[in-house]
Amino acid sequence: MAIPVIVFWAIGVALIVVQTTLLEHLPVWLARPDLLYVLVAFLAYRFAWIPGIAVVFSLTWMVDVVAGIYMGLYPLACLLAFTALKTMSTKSLLKESTYQIPLVGLSFFLTQIFLYFVSSLLLPDILPEWSWPGSMQRTILVVLSAIPLFVLFNRLNEYLLKRRLRGKAPRRRPPRPL
Amino acid sequence: MRKNSKAHQERSVGSTVRVLLLITLLLVVGLLLLAAMLGGKFGPLHQLTLDFIGPLQSVVTRTATGVVNLKNDYVALLDVRDENKKLQAQIDRYLNELGEYREGYSTYRHLQELLEMKEKLTFKPIAARVVGKEPSYWYQTIVVDRGRNDDILEGMIALAPGGVVGQVLHTAENYSKILLANAPSSAIDAMVQKSRIRGILKGAGEKGYVLQYVLKTADVEVGDHIVTAGIGGIFPAGIPLGRISKIEKKQRGMFQEIEVEPSIDFQKLEYVLLDPTDRKSMLDSLNMSPKR
Repeated sequence: MAIPVIVFWAIGVALIVVQTTLLEHLPVWLARPDLLYVLVAFLAYRFAWIPGIAVVFSLTWMVDVVAGIYMGLYPLACLLAFTALKTMSTKSLLKESTYQIPLVGLSFFLTQIFLYFVSSLLLPDILPEWSWPGSMQRTILVVLSAIPLFVLFNRLNEYLLKRRLRGKAPRRRPPRPL
Repeated sequence: MRKNSKAHQERSVGSTVRVLLLITLLLVVGLLLLAAMLGGKFGPLHQLTLDFIGPLQSVVTRTATGVVNLKNDYVALLDVRDENKKLQAQIDRYLNELGEYREGYSTYRHLQELLEMKEKLTFKPIAARVVGKEPSYWYQTIVVDRGRNDDILEGMIALAPGGVVGQVLHTAENYSKILLANAPSSAIDAMVQKSRIRGILKGAGEKGYVLQYVLKTADVEVGDHIVTAGIGGIFPAGIPLGRISKIEKKQRGMFQEIEVEPSIDFQKLEYVLLDPTDRKSMLDSLNMSPKR
């Protein structure tokens, strides 16, 4: 499990860097998809609890450090989302991949509401007005970007798991001489 | 049986470790979150994280900026190339126009000179456009667009603002052929304007003229102007022919060899003025027709 964790952690770091550098140049009207959230959702579907929480927390912590205003809020929201999605996936409610992507959108939308609600309590002065079209737009962007990213992440995860299994394949003992 | 219980034991130990690990992780995460949210300080862990992410962001930003700059430079270069093409086309057009204007100006100057000359002349000349040239050494003729229909007759003289051009050799209905003064078969009675010394100006083709029959003792210098002497009756006196360019006095013989540079450039003739006076007929009637 160590190699997939490291690989996806590295991908998460790369996504944070891309999100905070390259995607900043996208036009404002287009908004910027939260690519890291897509990774959080993927980790919830595919990773076990312990590595999942470790990776999600460390990555969202980075986002918080790089872009957060109120420290700890974004990691908390993402961990809650991770827990919710993980719980649903382990309870076999959403094993079907058909529901996974729409659920990413739904959870992201709810996370936005949560973040806004908590921010309105903690930072009421600097909070901009809630915008339904803006939230919807961001959610749609996350859903749209989740489709190719999930395909990529799945392929990479499968490849890493197969490599690990090949490495663990038991060696055949030579036949005992009669 | 013993194997099963051993495996069961291993599994329970593993799950206990996992649960403990999860609890520890949750505790750490919870503590960190609490510290971050309640403490509100940008602690050492935050600083460490920023120091880790910062260089990565810097590399990506620099690379992206470099790529964007490269793209912008390339696009600018494309624009410059397009602009260059447009400007080049404009220059070509303007040069073309300039050529036309120069040509127009040149024609204007030439016609102006002709007009000035025409006003100075005692006779009423007929202007003719040069339509053809025969530049070979032996013939040295031009064709002009005036002929018998314009009362042009053989033997009439042709002039240009610079001086004598030649003499009408043949005429057709609408065109005439003129023997240039520098043709080897041409001979004109001439004199040195300054000293009034006379001689015969023979055509020498591209070299211009040769002034013959000038005595060695005659006072002539390089640069002296040669004009028509008006003796043969064909050319009126005083029309410019050229300037002395070289004088050679050989030991043998009594005459100097004088080269004369024509006052007009026969290569650049565009218009000539024809003197409609039928001098030849007049001379014929007087039985004084000169040999050409």
